Parts: sequence; structure tokens; C-alpha cells
Amino acid sequence: MNQLLLIPIVAFAKLLTLALRVSGRGSGTALPGYLIGRYFPFVLEALVSQIPVVVAITGTNGKTTSQTMLSAVLDQMPGARVLRNKAGANLSQGILSELLKQSNGFGRLDFTHAVLEVEEATLPRIATLLKPNIIAVTNLYRDQLDAYGEIDRTEKLIRDGIAQCPTAAVVVNGDDPRTARLTQGLGNATYYMSLAPEYARFLPYEGKLNRRLPDSQGLEATNIRINEDLTTDFSVQGRMNDQGVHLPQAKTVSPGFFHVYNGLMAIAIANLLGIDGATAIAGLQTFRPAFGRGEILTRAQGEKQVNYRLLLVKNPASFSLSLELLRNIPALKLMLAINDNTADSKDVSWLWDSEVERLTQADIDWILCTGIRAKDMVVRLKYALDTPPSPSPTVESIRQAIDLSFEKANPGDTVFVLPTYTAMLEFRKLMGKTLDIV
Amino acid sequence: MPYALTITHLYPDYLNLYGDTGNLIVLRRRCQWMGIDCTVKSLSMGETAQAGQTDLYFMGGGQDTDQVAVVEDFHQLKYDAIRADTEAGVPFLGVCGGYQLMGHTFLMGNGEETRGLGIINVSTRAPGTEVKQRCIGNLIGEIAAATYADMQTLYASPRAIPRTLVGFENHSGQTYLGDGVEPLAQTIAGFGNNATAEHEGARYKNVFGSYMHGSLLPKNPHFADYLIGLALRRRYADATLTLPALADTEEFAAHDYAVQRYG
Repeated sequence: MNQLLLIPIVAFAKLLTLALRVSGRGSGTALPGYLIGRYFPFVLEALVSQIPVVVAITGTNGKTTSQTMLSAVLDQMPGARVLRNKAGANLSQGILSELLKQSNGFGRLDFTHAVLEVEEATLPRIATLLKPNIIAVTNLYRDQLDAYGEIDRTEKLIRDGIAQCPTAAVVVNGDDPRTARLTQGLGNATYYMSLAPEYARFLPYEGKLNRRLPDSQGLEATNIRINEDLTTDFSVQGRMNDQGVHLPQAKTVSPGFFHVYNGLMAIAIANLLGIDGATAIAGLQTFRPAFGRGEILTRAQGEKQVNYRLLLVKNPASFSLSLELLRNIPALKLMLAINDNTADSKDVSWLWDSEVERLTQADIDWILCTGIRAKDMVVRLKYALDTPPSPSPTVESIRQAIDLSFEKANPGDTVFVLPTYTAMLEFRKLMGKTLDIV
Repeated sequence: MPYALTITHLYPDYLNLYGDTGNLIVLRRRCQWMGIDCTVKSLSMGETAQAGQTDLYFMGGGQDTDQVAVVEDFHQLKYDAIRADTEAGVPFLGVCGGYQLMGHTFLMGNGEETRGLGIINVSTRAPGTEVKQRCIGNLIGEIAAATYADMQTLYASPRAIPRTLVGFENHSGQTYLGDGVEPLAQTIAGFGNNATAEHEGARYKNVFGSYMHGSLLPKNPHFADYLIGLALRRRYADATLTLPALADTEEFAAHDYAVQRYG
């Protein structure tokens, strides 16, 4: 009966999406999902259950990148058709909207895999509907305390989500003490992703770095090398399903240690889905950074061309790690774009938990602060640096900051832009790139 | 005479919720810029406090489980010494969860009221019907008259300092001030101590509490200086001791912006 009911509901959703688009009131990623999720709660399960393999990715950082990497790997599989939700649409209504959008007029979905980014607090609410075969948890950093309260609570929510899926294989960050203990006391098969300890100690985890037990399953990255163009080389070794894994040459085009975990997760999940290591690594090579996560945008006027490399900062962890990368860039040109809209966190206290002091040893050519909270950023810089760039140019308007940075940069320079989420959206829009999200 | 100052950070590994470390960065840097030799010591779980060993206490907020863990330890190993210090005028700043914790009772996330440290006569209770949700948002307050007047005597030469404090609050507990405790500021924007009182924070002798969580001092350098000044005046038994004025252009720009945008 449900299947018959689906037809008029899906038709309604498609009409609504069309109406929203035609009337210019958004791209229709949230409202249809919201209405249908509210009035016809069975629809999510009815749609997603048609897809044979469902992977849910959650955690505070790296959901989007892990999703994009895994999709790139799955695309190497002949006959694979992968459904994914776009970043930002990771609440239940966003996931439902994507399923509605991708289904045909009869509510049929023709996909082999769903790779879904799921917001942390949403996981326990929809876990029994999604019935994921695999749950991946990237990490649990302090993030958006004004939205969720406490990180202890977020950890509990994810654990509750996993507990609802006793047959799901769980892939977790094995260094992060919060994610490494998620399946303790649960029967789920668990795979731990780790960096060799000499790298993991740079990472600002909550609490003491977890050390993997010798008999545990999982992958470890060694010989990590971050190249000057911010691509990252690493080796992978470990055990998956009691089989040894040894992959000496893996590479991601996204910068830094964070993305090594994402790469490991993609390789591990691919392994669980029956894809061999060499194919997974080849797939990873085809990956291109998701918007804002290391992508490069170029601005040209006449002969002059300047590159802007975007490294999204969402919380102290991602900010500190991006600064760690920039420490070795010669004659660093840096734009810090800090907004305090709801999607960024309305509270800018997190700037003080970020280790801006890591810039002390950097070779700084200039720093420009912009965004709604540019002035707060300037104060943070002043207290972090022994010799703050003086005077610190500050322009609230991101449009003006782009103009000013273009003037200051030499032809061919790369300006590193560290924007909060909405500052990143605005920056991209001003550079002529937009996203299909609400 | 070169001045020196010892700051004690209480339970830094348990109470360090969100931007709390900003307050210590600011105190330390400003001391450095003013030529004051500043030492920051931590006093954590299992360590016994000695009276007369420090010039300034700081305590941040923590997760519920950590806050509860701290209470037992505090009463066993620290209460007598710290209470003696604060009664003798040693400045103490507690922010957000740290502020609630300083009182007689504080509130946990599950709505349960628990015994606090009891060094200031305030109590925090569960919200009744007056607030539906957590008190979250930007908070602007006008500093109480007596405190503001005292703040202005601090500098070697007269300087203009804001009458306001700016910060961000995020709490469900409602704090009520008992006898002998004055509000730190009148609220201009935001909730402050509780949904009805229209005041924010507390002062008892030189003990200060504020709901401006995390990084309170970075955008309120006049308050940071006031704490440093009170600590030095007490340590050197010189009520007329003054501080040099730092060039706080960036700090006051951020402060004024917050007042205009959120006030």
C-alpha cells in the first residue's frame, strides 16, 4: 500500500520543487522534504530501502570530503550508480528532498549505492529508516556549541544512532578518543582509521589520543608527505576483514592530515564493498576537492591573474589544522573571512580556542581580515602574533576584500582564503560560483 | 619597581569549555605589554590550594560531568584556602559554567540542581515558565556605577574607556544574587543572570562572575586591566597604584562594533 501511496506524494513533491524554482524561491532542497517528512513519515524509508547499499557518514569535520572521495572511488565500479546528498542538505528533510528529487514519477530509485552525509544529531532520528550497511564517523571536535550544547551529548547521539543499527559495519577515526569508543559495548564490526602517531599528535582531539589495540581491524597511514602544491602522499597498511592491506602509494589532491583520514575511510569502505585497493587508490586520484575544501578559484583582469585557495574553517580544529599547513608556505598571503551567521556559529569564542599562534613561525607577506566579525579576528591575531602585521587591513565587506587582495597580490600569486561557511558561500558567489543549496 | 603577578587557572583540564583560554591569553599578553612579570599556574584535581600564593584566580566553564567532579575536589582540597584569599580581596573571575559553579547551587543539563563551590552568595536554578529555551545570544551590559568609577582610577593618565561589557551567553540556568552581592552590569541586550532581573554577572568584594562565556576579556580590555590592577594593588598594598594605558585600538574597535550591532 505504501508503494501506491508513494506515487501521488512524489508527484506532489516534484510539482512543489518545480514551483519553488520557477517562482525563484529557492532550489527546493529543503521544503518538499520538510513537508513530506512531517506528514508522510514512511516515505523516507520507502524510498531509501530501494537502494541496495547505504553508507551514512557523520562527524563534525570531513563529512563532505569523505562523501566526495567515496563517490569518486565507487564510480570506478562498473555499473555503479551512486546517489548522494549535497553538502548542507544533511538533515532529514535535505536527505528526503534529494531522494524525492532523484526518484522517477512512480517513486522508483534506480541506484546501486547511496552515500549520505548525515548531520550528527540527525543520525539517531533516522537510523532505523536508513538502515545503513555502513556508518562512518569522521571525528568529534567541539563545534557549534550554541547549536548543540555539549560535545558529550553529540557523542551520545551518534552512539544511539549506531545502537539502532546492530548489523552495520562501523568505520571510525581510530585516533579520536571520542569516535574510537563509540561501539564499545555494541556488537558492530568496527574498523579504525589512524595516522601513524608522529602525525596524529598534531591533531587537536578532545582528550588523550587513542592508541589502537594491536588486534583491531583498520587502516593506518604512514609516510605522509604534504607537497608544496598542498597535495598529500601517504602509504596505507592494516587489516580489513582479516586480510592484510598494503598500499604504498596513495595520494589525495586535498591538503593536509584531515584529508588523509577521509582518504583512509574511502579506501576502507570501498574494501568492505568489495573494491580492491588498487582500484580504490585510482578512484581517489580522480577526486576533486568539494567546494571550499581546498578548491582553487582564479580571478583575472587583463594580464593579471591571481589564484585563491579556499580552506573552509568551521571550528577550532579545522582552523588550527589549516594554519598548520600554511606555516610552510613562502611569503604567505592570507585572507581570514569570519562571519557569525547561524550556519557559522553565532558565537565567535571559538577563535580563541583556535591555535592562531601556529602562525608565529610562518613567513607572512600580508594578512587581510574580512567578514562580519573581521574586527574580532584582528584582535585574535594581535594577541597571537609576536609581531602582528601592522597596520592590519580590515574590511568587513568580502567584495572589497577581494578587490583589495587582488590589488595587493602579484600576478600568479596564490592567496589563501580561510572562510567560515557563509563567508565561503559569499566568496564563491562573488567569484562567480554558486552552489545548488538553500 | 618592576611588578610581578601570579595567576591561578583553576581546573584548566576540566573547565575549558569554549574560548575560556582567550581570557588567559589576554591577561598574560597585557601583563607582558605593560612590563608586568606574569606567571600562570594551574591548580587542578587532586592538588591542594594554599592561601596567599596567588594574586588572581580564573575559572572557566565545563561539561556537566566535569563540573560535578570538580565540586568534591574543591571542597576537600581548596575551599578553605581560596575562601580565605577571596575574603581578603584576591580577585577571582568565573565565567559561564564557572560562574554558576562558584555559587551555592548550580544547575546541570538534566535540570538537576547540585551543590556548588560556595564562594559567592548566588544560586542558580532551573528555568521556570519565564524562559522557554536556553538563553543564547550576544549580551551587552552597562557596568555598575561603583565598579566603573573605580575602573577609571586605574590608569596613570585619564583615558576614555567604554561603560559597556560585550560577550556571548549560552545557559539555561537562572542565577539569583543573594545578600552582599551586586550585579556586575545592567543588561542592554540579552538575558544576563536571569530572564526577569535585567542585570548580568555578579561582584562580591573582588570576586566576579559573568555569563559572558569563553572569551570575555579580549573585547573588554578595560575589564582585563581592572582585574590586573586590583590584583597588583592588593599584592603591593598600594591603593593608588596605576597602570600604563595600552593602545587598544583593535580591542575597542571590536567592542564598539559589538555594541552597535547587537546592543
